[in-house]
Amino acid sequence: MDSSGDEALDIIITNVVATFRTRCHLNLRTIALEGTNVIYKPEDGKVLMKLRKPKITASIWSSGKIICTGATSEDEAKLGARRLARCLQKLGFKVNFSAFKVVNVLAVCSMPFAVHLIDFTKNNRPIASYEPELHPAAMYRIKTLKATVQVFSTGSLTVTGPNVQNVAAAVEHIYPLLFECQKPKPLCK
Amino acid sequence: MTSRVCRTCGGSDIDVDQARGSAVCTGCGSVLEDNIIVSEVQFVEGSGGVSSTVGQFVSADGPVKAPILGSGFHISVGKESRAQTLQSGKRQIQQLGSQLQLNQHCLDTAFNFFKLVVSKHLTRGRKMEHVIAACLYLVCRTEGTPHMLLDLSDLLQVNVYILGKTFLLLARELCINAPAIDPCLYIPRFAHMLEFGMKTHEVSMTALRLVQRMKRDWMHTGRRPSGLCGAALLVAARMHKFRRSVKDVISVVKVCQTTLRKRLTEFEDTPTSQLTIDEFMKVDLEQECDPPSFTAGQHKAKMQQLEQELARKLDEVEGEISCFKDEIETELEKSRPKLRGVYAAYTKEIAPEEEEVLSSTSDPEETEETEMQATTQHLTQDFLCQVIQEEEGQGKTADEGFCDQETEPETLGTTTRPQVTPLSVILGKLPSAARLGLQESFHTFAGSETGEVPQSGELDLKDIDDQEIEKYILNEKEVEVKTELWMKQNAEYLKEQKEKEERINKEKEQGTYKEKKKKYKKREQIEASTAGEAIEKMLEKKKISSKINYDVLRDLNGVTGSPSTTTSDPPEGNATRKRLSRRRRKTSEVNPDLSVNATIMGKRFRRLISSTPKKKKTPPQVETAVTMATKPTTTEAAAAPTPDAIPDTGSTPPAAPPPAEEEEEEEELEEECVSALQLVGDYGCEEEEVF
Repeated sequence: MDSSGDEALDIIITNVVATFRTRCHLNLRTIALEGTNVIYKPEDGKVLMKLRKPKITASIWSSGKIICTGATSEDEAKLGARRLARCLQKLGFKVNFSAFKVVNVLAVCSMPFAVHLIDFTKNNRPIASYEPELHPAAMYRIKTLKATVQVFSTGSLTVTGPNVQNVAAAVEHIYPLLFECQKPKPLCK
Repeated sequence: MTSRVCRTCGGSDIDVDQARGSAVCTGCGSVLEDNIIVSEVQFVEGSGGVSSTVGQFVSADGPVKAPILGSGFHISVGKESRAQTLQSGKRQIQQLGSQLQLNQHCLDTAFNFFKLVVSKHLTRGRKMEHVIAACLYLVCRTEGTPHMLLDLSDLLQVNVYILGKTFLLLARELCINAPAIDPCLYIPRFAHMLEFGMKTHEVSMTALRLVQRMKRDWMHTGRRPSGLCGAALLVAARMHKFRRSVKDVISVVKVCQTTLRKRLTEFEDTPTSQLTIDEFMKVDLEQECDPPSFTAGQHKAKMQQLEQELARKLDEVEGEISCFKDEIETELEKSRPKLRGVYAAYTKEIAPEEEEVLSSTSDPEETEETEMQATTQHLTQDFLCQVIQEEEGQGKTADEGFCDQETEPETLGTTTRPQVTPLSVILGKLPSAARLGLQESFHTFAGSETGEVPQSGELDLKDIDDQEIEKYILNEKEVEVKTELWMKQNAEYLKEQKEKEERINKEKEQGTYKEKKKKYKKREQIEASTAGEAIEKMLEKKKISSKINYDVLRDLNGVTGSPSTTTSDPPEGNATRKRLSRRRRKTSEVNPDLSVNATIMGKRFRRLISSTPKKKKTPPQVETAVTMATKPTTTEAAAAPTPDAIPDTGSTPPAAPPPAEEEEEEEELEEECVSALQLVGDYGCEEEEVF
């Protein structure tokens, strides 16, 4: 399935970021004072609320825009968002759950081989960039999928994209390129 | 030069000599033109033997109308904006480049990059400094000079990553492929900085070999090249019997101690480290190593595997133990047949109860759900049965293997069924969790099917446990407590907000409510009758530098200006007072004729406080030796406390010169002012002579 032949690569989703709107003004002070697990940040003008059940942190603005981070799957993100909206409803605001959108998905994947980053960058010149002074990984941006893959020399990847499918497609896309530039299996001491 | 026909002989072969500026016919030798205007560069010897060029190069792509007269360094003389940008960019590139000791060729290339950047509008929204630095670094990379981005950020005092971002963007936009950094490039530079004297070259070569070895051992991917260089140089230095400590190396290489040590330990792990110095110089080992992070990762993976195996074994052992436990129970049951019957009845009771309990915790009232429940229960029951049978099966084989006692498979078989329910009681927690999980996934799936986008934001209340949500909301008393705490914590902020609001309301009432936008006020025109007055007023307004010898300045206009200034004092005083109060909340009054003297004394604005304005007065902290023509009495009264604060009482007689008071907004500057005062005070005893 992942064009690896023998084993399937485990793509582990570590973070899903989603936004939605409540279509009504929220009084941040009320939320801050009457909710558990909330942090009020007056200088930023937002409230951070953390849910336990799907482990989610939400930033709530008074305009009604809410960003949810920390979920481990798209469904979880949606569930968490709905829970949050329900919580706000109970606090007395006329909440309308609208415009839910998953904005970013972050996943981690590990290749069974190490990668020679310099060769990899040379082969994929404009798309890949590697600056060892700045960051130890090579960055590969896939424009069509709007996904970014960070490749480390150990063979582990960090993939970010707008949804889970894109992330999986990105891994598929990049696998053959990495396979070419893998480090030959050397003799270890 | 257009070739013309000679007048005398008619020949067209005319030789134009640029140096002499003459056109001569080669046929007859007649001079056709003399003193031709030439466009050559002429040199002139200036003072001190410095030769300079006469004339200037006018760029072909500059504005057509630019006749640059004089020195030609006027930047903003009616040029287009683009030309200005380019010129200023060129200047900055020259400046930075010379600090980095880049040669002219590199600087020209950098300027070309900059021109490209400007034409692509990439300078918009970015600081010029960053763009210039990025262009320079691009050149460094393409030329392969040993300059690091860190050097540039050092010079500019800018975060490396910000520069890196700009650099990456430019490289991408200009489609310039900067070749990857080779740590070998940096070695000669660092070696030079470490001062190995005569042996620098040898040490560099050794370090180079080390670095190449590191490359082969995959230590260099994903690492800062400077760290590797540092480690290699340290080892090379030691090999050649130079004592360079870690501190020396890190000050040159700009990595931290931990990094260096890490690299050294990694190198230690490679087989090359086992060679002696001579061997290393001669022999190059064939085998290569895995990169250290890879080996670390593998190590971790191995540990994990081991743990998993252990866990599995533990499970197996547990399984066996539970089998034994079951067997013991069965034996016990066999010995108590009556209880067994009761037990069976009891278990039958439990089962339906359990089902009821489970069903009550679920979300209400949909037939779908109850069906789901039933199915899930069945599923879990079956699952459990399977598991138990497996275990029993294992237990059987284990028994047959281990126990001497003959266990009757039949008894085991018969006891499985009544066993099922007690086990499910024991394992009660598992199925409920699994069931909830299954339910949720079913729900979300069903939800997604049934046109999930809620119509205009209706909140889907399925499977949101209200009870749980209640926990997120504090009850009345908790709210009170929290409110108190929050108020206390944020008291300052709240106060500020209140004040701000009050201020805004007041201003609104007064009708002078200004919007928050910063307006840069135009410099008010100075109205003055004489030059002296103008200077005085200008000095009032401007902040004063400590580098000017004010005595001289004063003397320049003091004699001429004083009689005229006295007459204009009172009206001016009022005007300036108003101006001041509006501008800076300063309450003091100006005494113009003394303002020059006043402003002489130190960096900050000096003002003499008069008796009339009764606004807030800060305690005078600095005193200047300025005499005051009008109103000496009030100032003398104020002078009394001031002597304490005077640092240089010696030079200034406190009685006669009134103090100049100052409203300081920041106390830090006070000390500066004092020291400046001291400086100036020590300078001239002439102050005493004033008036």
